[in-house]
Amino acid sequence: MSQSFSLYIPTNSGMHRLHPLTKLALVFLCLVLGLFLPGVWLSYATFALIIIPSALWGGVLPRLLSALFKTALPIALSLFLIQGLFWPGGTPILHLGPLSFKEEGLYFSIQRTGRFIMIIGSFLLLTFTTRPDELMLALNRHGIPNSITYIILSTMQIIPRFQAKANTILDAQRSRGLETEGNVLVRIRALLPLIQPLLLGSIVDIDERAIALEVRAFGRKGPRTSLLTLHDTPAQRIARWLMLLAAVAVIAWGIYLWLAPRFIA
Amino acid sequence: MIRLADVTYRYPRATVPALDGLSFEVSTGQFCAVIGANGAGKTTLCSALAGFVPQFYRGTITGSIEVAGLNVVESPLADIAGTVGLVFSNPFNQITGARFTVRDEIAFGLENMAVPVAEMEPRIEEIMRFAGLEGLADRSPFALSGGQQQRLAIASVLVMRPKVVVLDEPTSQLDPVGAKEVFSVLRSLATTAETTVFMAEQKLEWVAAFADRVLVLHQGKLVADGPPGEVLASPDLGRYGLQPTRYTQVARAAQLAGLRSADTPLPVTLEQAVEFFN
Repeated sequence: MSQSFSLYIPTNSGMHRLHPLTKLALVFLCLVLGLFLPGVWLSYATFALIIIPSALWGGVLPRLLSALFKTALPIALSLFLIQGLFWPGGTPILHLGPLSFKEEGLYFSIQRTGRFIMIIGSFLLLTFTTRPDELMLALNRHGIPNSITYIILSTMQIIPRFQAKANTILDAQRSRGLETEGNVLVRIRALLPLIQPLLLGSIVDIDERAIALEVRAFGRKGPRTSLLTLHDTPAQRIARWLMLLAAVAVIAWGIYLWLAPRFIA
Repeated sequence: MIRLADVTYRYPRATVPALDGLSFEVSTGQFCAVIGANGAGKTTLCSALAGFVPQFYRGTITGSIEVAGLNVVESPLADIAGTVGLVFSNPFNQITGARFTVRDEIAFGLENMAVPVAEMEPRIEEIMRFAGLEGLADRSPFALSGGQQQRLAIASVLVMRPKVVVLDEPTSQLDPVGAKEVFSVLRSLATTAETTVFMAEQKLEWVAAFADRVLVLHQGKLVADGPPGEVLASPDLGRYGLQPTRYTQVARAAQLAGLRSADTPLPVTLEQAVEFFN
């Protein structure tokens, strides 16, 4: 990861070999399924029936689950505690001294956690199995401007880049005696001197990278060529259209379910 | 090929000009080095030759800068890119991140210029050999050492075949062998390909050995201009925060000690020093 500055995990699985837009369409369908239809369990079902098997096929399931666990657990815990305990009104189902867990709060937390797992899981599946430059090229070829695709690519690289820069700064500060390990307070205190050099350094980096891009004629208008080749098949093209149609149908169904009670009322 | 006429430039909110009344010309195929202490204006001058001063950094500029027939103060940066190549000192930030392998990173500029793929491949192979990057084509650019990354940055610019190459301390991350290789590459580029090379550099021994001409900047002003043997042996160098090469220092000490005649020209390179002491 640190060597390529992307979250991409290079292996030669069938999932990896799919055209980037096929994977993007799959992720889009997952997001639509999880976000547009009501109910608590649909996000979990999408995760279990689409994302997990795809990650398994791509050979990235352990990494995906590990990353998901680290990101989702703190958010899920805080959701359950805050929404469960402090839901206004609601039906108490479990008492903890003066506080009580409300059924509605727990229901809300389960739904939001499911959506979070599904969104992050989809994003990780795409980034773990798709080379950023191939995704950029695929989008360019479908009319998305270079500047937009570069922003998407930079977003996919920002976490590892920030991580590497933060580690370098932390190493420099540690070598001068800054305590960065220990209890939570020590770790939080160690973050403060990190923020300024990290942000200022990143701004300088962005300036220099913008110049490096301009030097390489990135801002030039007109047609471009590409040394990269993308492999596509008629079956994948059909699958992409089917997934898009399914996504549109789900969106329409979700809007109908949302509007219907209002019209009936 | 490069023509500056009375150029004065101030960064936004700066009270002192970074470039102050610069006028000079560099002809086609010349290897011109610019030296000076930190803050003398070398980086600003390099950025100005590639159009980034004032187009990227803003600020106010007067006078005119013409590079390879382009008015770089006003021409769009995208038009300047194919004609003027810029390499700067931090190799890490010159990797665009838009491509996954060394080969694709070199191809990036050619792709943007719509060079046909059939023409692209031999050009990439040639430049990789030229820059000593053979065997690294499929590696991630981020997995290279600092020196390799700098050679990649140079190769990525040279592959676009610019008429003028501007380099801002490109050897700052290189070991002595790597630095010498870069100087050799640039020297042969100027001699055989008739590319004009303009390089800001602190390594005076290499400047003395490879450059045709040396400019000295001090507080944004051009204070000396001439062949390396003349400029680098000048007793004024210390006034501008620069230290002569070790060959010049030893020879000068020998003259002061009366071991050599004070009329003998001071050496600036190893070869000249050998001759001086013989």
